[in-house]
Amino acid sequence: MKIAESLPESFQRFFINVAGIGRFTKQFFRQVFKPPFEFREILNQAYRLGYDSLFLVGITGFIIGMVMTLQTKPTLEQFGAESWLPSMVSVSIIREIGPVLTALICAGKVGSGIGAELGSMKVSEQIDAMTVSGANAFNYLVVTRVIATTITVPILVYYADAISLVGSYVGVNIEGNVSPSLFYKQSLDILVFSDIVPATIKTLFFGFAIGIVGCYKGATADKGTLGVGSAANSAVVISSLMIFVIDLIAVQLTQLFIR
Amino acid sequence: MKEEEIVIDIQELKKSFGDNEVLKGMNLQLHRKENLVILGKSGTGKSVLIKCIVKLIEPDEGRLRVLDQEVKDLEADEELNKLRRRVGFLFQGGALYDSMSVRENLRFPLERLSDKPSRDEMEDRVYEALRSVGLEKAIDKMPAELSGGMKKRIALARTLILKPAIVLYDEPTTGLDPATSKEISQLILEMQQEYDISSIIITHDMACARITSNKMKVIRNGVFKYKGTYDELREKNDPWLRDFFE
Repeated sequence: MKIAESLPESFQRFFINVAGIGRFTKQFFRQVFKPPFEFREILNQAYRLGYDSLFLVGITGFIIGMVMTLQTKPTLEQFGAESWLPSMVSVSIIREIGPVLTALICAGKVGSGIGAELGSMKVSEQIDAMTVSGANAFNYLVVTRVIATTITVPILVYYADAISLVGSYVGVNIEGNVSPSLFYKQSLDILVFSDIVPATIKTLFFGFAIGIVGCYKGATADKGTLGVGSAANSAVVISSLMIFVIDLIAVQLTQLFIR
Repeated sequence: MKEEEIVIDIQELKKSFGDNEVLKGMNLQLHRKENLVILGKSGTGKSVLIKCIVKLIEPDEGRLRVLDQEVKDLEADEELNKLRRRVGFLFQGGALYDSMSVRENLRFPLERLSDKPSRDEMEDRVYEALRSVGLEKAIDKMPAELSGGMKKRIALARTLILKPAIVLYDEPTTGLDPATSKEISQLILEMQQEYDISSIIITHDMACARITSNKMKVIRNGVFKYKGTYDELREKNDPWLRDFFE
């Protein structure tokens, strides 16, 4: 107890968050298989969280694909390896840039939205009202949102990957003249099992982390409107951090088992 | 159930938050069809007391029986939820679900019953509850489109839709103008008479207390200091108590 108290406040907060998120995750797995199953609310949340992010994810993906191409092209030209450009861009996007960037956008948009929504429900006693009406508020509010983010983030990643390749194609053709079929053949032929499957699996974890952190911060919000803002803010910070940690672990595991 | 039957029985209930001992051994009995008003200054644990009744807050010590069930013993979600469905709770701000329309707000508790009513039956019950608070026309509105008084009425309708035996009101007239406060107070009285409900009403609003109460209790320093009818308490000479009435 004394050791914990002697730590700086930021460290104490960090450990409190880690323990809290751990407990929340345990409760999620305890509740997820318990009826009633709120299928309609899962679909509603998946549609709301996913559909609303399409534009932002799409436009960001397009710009990143195009910028990467434009930035890399001069260097590859110096080595006479310009023909490798589509392959290089596609591998970078599919393995790393697409999943991490999309997850970070979702952490900012979806994670903060969940944190703020649940936070304001908490401070206005809506969660308590659900509980006293005999409903399972955790099941209705948390389980549905976590499942929704776990499903929608990988879908958004595929969508962002595809749009990024379109952006890259546009980038290649600003000064060149490459046919779409040649570009996509070069982009996709290079991809193998170990590029796509691990990248997809890690996006499931990204989605889960965004959902669980957003819900945890929202459900534990306090101090009125100040608490709601703080819940939204820390949902973004913690889930972004978790995305990088998960990515690091995923890269290590991929190298350990697949390569 | 007989009228003298006790529906809530609280013995020596204690609750602390850190060093702050809020409830210091509360004793309370609520009889069937009785409206009990609890008075007390802010921060004296009135809301904590009624939140303990539905186990939103766990008391530290004491005995708490609601509708012949020991609340402390209700560990399983299903048992606890069954009891909660028989005890309605009206929150201070109404606590309507912002993302749902009035219809969805009222359907929400019905849709989660183990013996869920049919669609038509649910719709009938929603209309019946809204009719009882005089707001059928608001059925498709969102909470953001409603006034403070309308929100309270809709919240009351949502509480009554499960036909509870007991309703706990947490400052039902706070933030409302005197005319709307009077309407809400009269509505509470009508609900008690129409549906044979027993109620605990927490309020600072003496007009509400006068209209709704059969009996009153006053909290001071974590225990009930005074009890009696509205008129009996008004006649007491304690200056601390007189502040409420003046």
